Amino acid sequence: MLTLLTGFLIGCAFGAILYLGGASSYRKILGTLMLKDMTVIKLMMTGIGVGSLGIYLLDLGGLANMAIKPAYVWGIVAGGAIFGVGWAVSGYCPGTCIVGASEGKKDAVATLVGALVGAFIFSMAFPVLDAMLMQNANLGKITFEDVLGINGIFIAIPFSMAMLFMSFFVLKDRYE
Amino acid sequence: MNDEPIISWKAAGIALGLLLTLATFLVKPLGVSTQFVVTDAIVMHQIAPTIAESNQYFSTYGVPSDWGIGYGWMLVFGMFIGGGITAMIFRDRQPEADKGSMPPMWQARFGPSEIKRYSAAFTGGVLLLFGARLAGGCTSGHMISGISQLAVSSFIFGVTTFIVAIAAAKFIYRNQGA
Repeated sequence: MLTLLTGFLIGCAFGAILYLGGASSYRKILGTLMLKDMTVIKLMMTGIGVGSLGIYLLDLGGLANMAIKPAYVWGIVAGGAIFGVGWAVSGYCPGTCIVGASEGKKDAVATLVGALVGAFIFSMAFPVLDAMLMQNANLGKITFEDVLGINGIFIAIPFSMAMLFMSFFVLKDRYE
Repeated sequence: MNDEPIISWKAAGIALGLLLTLATFLVKPLGVSTQFVVTDAIVMHQIAPTIAESNQYFSTYGVPSDWGIGYGWMLVFGMFIGGGITAMIFRDRQPEADKGSMPPMWQARFGPSEIKRYSAAFTGGVLLLFGARLAGGCTSGHMISGISQLAVSSFIFGVTTFIVAIAAAKFIYRNQGA
């Protein structure tokens, strides 16, 4: 019960951040994908910069409940490519279409319904796709900690700095 | 000029990173796309239990202890409530260009047809979840949470997704001058 409430409250904060930061805006998403308005990518990279440092600091004390996804290369590349087209066409991702729908945006509701259909189609096609793309070339649930063989914090610190440096000083909006 | 989001990307990004850290400490990192399958599975278990049980993917979410309203589903439900309440409070401060169901940028390219916009949004939604489930996550689970955990899979997803999405956006808005 407490876990459910925790999930609900974290979700509330997540939804509020996405709305307030403009991530549920078609203009801002497409602006980033057109490489003109960097708001959303800077938001994401700042989040990753803070999050990677936070998670690996927790990990030092053994307090991080991580969830690493397996690296089955072909399925991820194919899925990522399909996802990328859907992202550009709808202007939403699964999370922001929920926030957009909560604002009353009808195009976000359409994306939300489409997403439920997409999940259904995938579930039906899963046995074939699983055999074709998700079982082979699977590197397992690996992180760069495993790849480089050093404690994650020594990767997280420079990575976090690089992410924050990129967002704060390198990426600039480019309007003609 | 009221063209910028209500809070800066710096504030939103730092808040997001702290929230991700908190979630990872308390339960587990943020994720959204799995819950679309869970929602489908809940419905399927109600209307067509035999199909739900025989489907390899749904049945993963088909054991009573695992499927249904868990932490992850409540998180996504919270996004709807939290986003909705915040939107009600701050509506006046949202930039005009970000309001409504017909983005001005879309209209400038494809005209005022609502059917066209909603069809594209629906089709995009189908592709989003099909792709996300094939890859094992979406912008939240793979990009934000996964890359923050330095997961190799999530870097592959992040790079592929951005390259394809940028190419697709440039294609959709080709010949648009700027």
